[in-house]
Amino acid sequence: MFDALRVVISRIRGCFRLRRLDDDFQQELDSHLVLLTEENLRRGMTPEEARRAARVRLGGVAQLRETHRELHGLPWLETLAQDIRYALRMVRKNPGFTAVVVVTIALGIGASTAVFSVVDPLLFRRLPYPQDDRLVSVGYLGPVDNNEFNVTSSYFDWRQAQAAFLSLTAMKPASACDVLVGDSPQQVKCYSVTANFLETLRIVPVIGRDFSAEDDRPRAPTVALLSYGFWQTAFGGDPKVLGKTITLNEDPAQVIGVLPKGFEMPQLGDVDVMLPARLDASLPRSANSSSFLRTFARLRDGVSMEQAREMLRPLFQECLIKDVPAELRSEVRLVVRSLRDRQIQEVKLASWWLLGSVLALLLLACTNVANLMLARAEARRQELAMRAALGAGRGRLIRQTLTESLLLGLLGGAVGCGAAWVLLRLFVNLAFEEMPRLDQARIDLRALLFALAGSIAAAVLFGLAPALERPRAETLVGWHVAGSARTLFRKALVSAQVAISLVLLTGASLLIRSLGKLENQALGYQPEHVLTASFALRRRRYLPAAAQTTFFDQLEAKLKRIPAGGSFALSDSIPPRGSMGRPYSNLRISGHPPVARDGGMVEFRWVTPGYFQTMGIPILSGRAFDEAERASGESPVILSASLARRLFGSENPVGQQIELDGNGHWCPIVGVAADAKNNGLTAPSDPEYYRLRMKGSDRGTGTGVALFRTSLDPATLMRWVRREFAALDPTLPVKIETMDERVDRFRERPRFVAILVGLFAALGLLLAAVGLYGVLSFLVARQTREIGVRMAIGARPRDIAWQVQKHAGIWTGIGVAMGLAGSFTLARTIRGLLFEVSPTDPISLIAAVTVLVVTAALAAWIPSSRAARVDPVIALRSE
Amino acid sequence: MTKDRSGILQGTLDLMVLKTLDAMGPLHGYGIARRIEQLSQEVLVLNQGTIYASLVRLLQKGWISGAWGASEHNRKAKFYSLTKRGRKQLSAETENWERIAGVMGRVLHLAARR
Repeated sequence: MFDALRVVISRIRGCFRLRRLDDDFQQELDSHLVLLTEENLRRGMTPEEARRAARVRLGGVAQLRETHRELHGLPWLETLAQDIRYALRMVRKNPGFTAVVVVTIALGIGASTAVFSVVDPLLFRRLPYPQDDRLVSVGYLGPVDNNEFNVTSSYFDWRQAQAAFLSLTAMKPASACDVLVGDSPQQVKCYSVTANFLETLRIVPVIGRDFSAEDDRPRAPTVALLSYGFWQTAFGGDPKVLGKTITLNEDPAQVIGVLPKGFEMPQLGDVDVMLPARLDASLPRSANSSSFLRTFARLRDGVSMEQAREMLRPLFQECLIKDVPAELRSEVRLVVRSLRDRQIQEVKLASWWLLGSVLALLLLACTNVANLMLARAEARRQELAMRAALGAGRGRLIRQTLTESLLLGLLGGAVGCGAAWVLLRLFVNLAFEEMPRLDQARIDLRALLFALAGSIAAAVLFGLAPALERPRAETLVGWHVAGSARTLFRKALVSAQVAISLVLLTGASLLIRSLGKLENQALGYQPEHVLTASFALRRRRYLPAAAQTTFFDQLEAKLKRIPAGGSFALSDSIPPRGSMGRPYSNLRISGHPPVARDGGMVEFRWVTPGYFQTMGIPILSGRAFDEAERASGESPVILSASLARRLFGSENPVGQQIELDGNGHWCPIVGVAADAKNNGLTAPSDPEYYRLRMKGSDRGTGTGVALFRTSLDPATLMRWVRREFAALDPTLPVKIETMDERVDRFRERPRFVAILVGLFAALGLLLAAVGLYGVLSFLVARQTREIGVRMAIGARPRDIAWQVQKHAGIWTGIGVAMGLAGSFTLARTIRGLLFEVSPTDPISLIAAVTVLVVTAALAAWIPSSRAARVDPVIALRSE
Repeated sequence: MTKDRSGILQGTLDLMVLKTLDAMGPLHGYGIARRIEQLSQEVLVLNQGTIYASLVRLLQKGWISGAWGASEHNRKAKFYSLTKRGRKQLSAETENWERIAGVMGRVLHLAARR
């Protein structure tokens, strides 16, 4: 055992001293010969004889030295060095070929590495918690929120009775809080969590301690954990912060610990300060069932996600009845899913599609290079046959070809890493705002390893085809014997390229068409020339409802005075987002039977009279709100067209009375407005009603959006608006943007995916075209003589061109058929990314096929016209 | 069992080299080869070069060491000598060999008697 190791070490050392050892050995043999000769002389031989006999006795010196060298070095390492030297020479001697191969591979590796670095943190990298794969997000999934939520009363019941989890923990939604560090006020992100929150995630504070059960009791004195970042910025990373008191929302809070660097909230929110949730089980169920939570859990060992879901179901059913209003029950379901899925649900499909399409691109690049290598192998057949005839083993030749392709692959990979770096910059700039973990996308070790693995895989893929060709002695004399099988293989490669490229093209054309529909869909309002300013009044400062009312009235008065050259309105929310929504079944109309129980959600907004004019929502019947009504005791309502249709059918709703909140307060319906997209851009819209914001009313005042329809330059108006807000409350954060920007944000993700897949499809198409062109040119060059003969006996150039085109047509046709089959197979996977476009949309398919066929025809045209121009005299003379 | 080009079992030659060095002290390649031939009463006529493959193997295992020195006629030659590990190995191998030889002898004898 140790001896074997000793031998290896000594051999490795030998590698570096090979020449010296060699010289040494030569000397040793020389002295051996001298001694032998002397002995022979002593036996009475003539000097001549003595020397000859000595050499015979010793054996062949060259052979001895060879054996000696093999024993001393690592023979495979030497052949490797030789192969590399040879490969380097080939690379240097064919700069054009090398450049094409390297650029092609670099393109494939660069694009796929860049995409990998973006999707790796989403799809593959571990989440920053120990045993992250055991963490799940659990809760109710209802119509209002895309993510599962929970309510405090259910959480208490579940925590008590569940058996599926090691622990179940909860957090309240994020809240902004005011912190006073020393004298300077700051607004930070706060999260309130239950005491077992960090324990469930298996995270321990870097300094200080975790929350205890004591800290989490209702009305316990406030303690706080600081995030690492906040600790650094606000306290300079001073460990003496422990035990210090900070002022949080005007209350004292004692700092008890600091969260580790890089800590992430499980739903990926930013956190500065973490507080105990101090949920109160003694409150009445009605109160706790309307306080919302997010709940996470760690699965018990040996319990799968599906099992956990089934184990939790009886509890879920029980609490559903207790905590969810009857009219919503049928729309609420139980969700138990992995934390990763919770984090990336919106982009999971898009990520897989991007990765898939970029790998397809890499495959195309490999196929192209394989084709190039085959073409060159064709040219080198005689050389290889010669080497085989001189005694090179088949294995040795394969190894050498593979070494060369590996070298090319690695070169391409290295250049590709540079390309990946550039592409990543581009992707990050193109990416949409809510793309999770984009800050973690970088060309790091993992990405480089991916690039390396990709390059090696690519090299093996494109190197294997020519390597497996057995050199034949016949080729030495220039006979084309082995050619036909290989051209068949190359044609198959071209067809495969066409197929892959078509799948990419179909994907891209579907996505682009879907994006087009998204951009051109009727929104129901006119976003052009509208400026929006949105804000949220922080609770504490505006705690008495009267303070909010005053703020709103003052703000309205101030903003109204701005000469924006159009109309102005104030609302609590605006499309394309909804409001908090109410169950449809809450509605009652006078003189009519009760509405259906399971009617889904209805959106509503509190608006000032200018809303419809400013948003550009047409009033279909009745009238808009007017200013005079705002002082009256009436509560007029305007319905959206779809809500009016649902409630009243063909009856005229204007003038009818409606009860909105089940509180006996009847409101007159004064008009019907056109439908507006209010549920994002892709989901179907909900019915909606509008209520008039009264003067001095405290209804719907927590958040607000000011709207201006203006002829002014947005930047100018923006300055004015900001000044008015600052005059009222300089600390209030206000987000000012145009309505177009606001709407466009909803198109960022589909646009990002469409642009990227489109880019890959275009590159893929280019590669496929180059591949087709390459093979056709090669065939035409090889058949020059045949073409010459045919022309000499009367074929017209048109016939020759047609024949080449026909070849191209057949391979393309086969490729298109395979590609269409592939597209249909993959149709299911792309559905989730499409808007109002079927995955088998004929227009997209036809567009993709057309683009492909036209490109193929163009690629075939050059070699076919070259074939048509062959001069029979020259062609026949040339060989 | 691998054979080297002389047709002698590799391990056998290695063992003979070790034993020779043990008996004679430091020797050069020529000396070792001659000695083996003499001891075998010229039954074993070596292709003398093969001795060197054996020497390299033993060197790499660290059982012998080599150093340049002067031969009896004041010629430069490389002298090999047994290392401590080599000596230990030799006694182990000798024992092993004798056991195998004994067994082989008995088996072959038995076969011959039948």
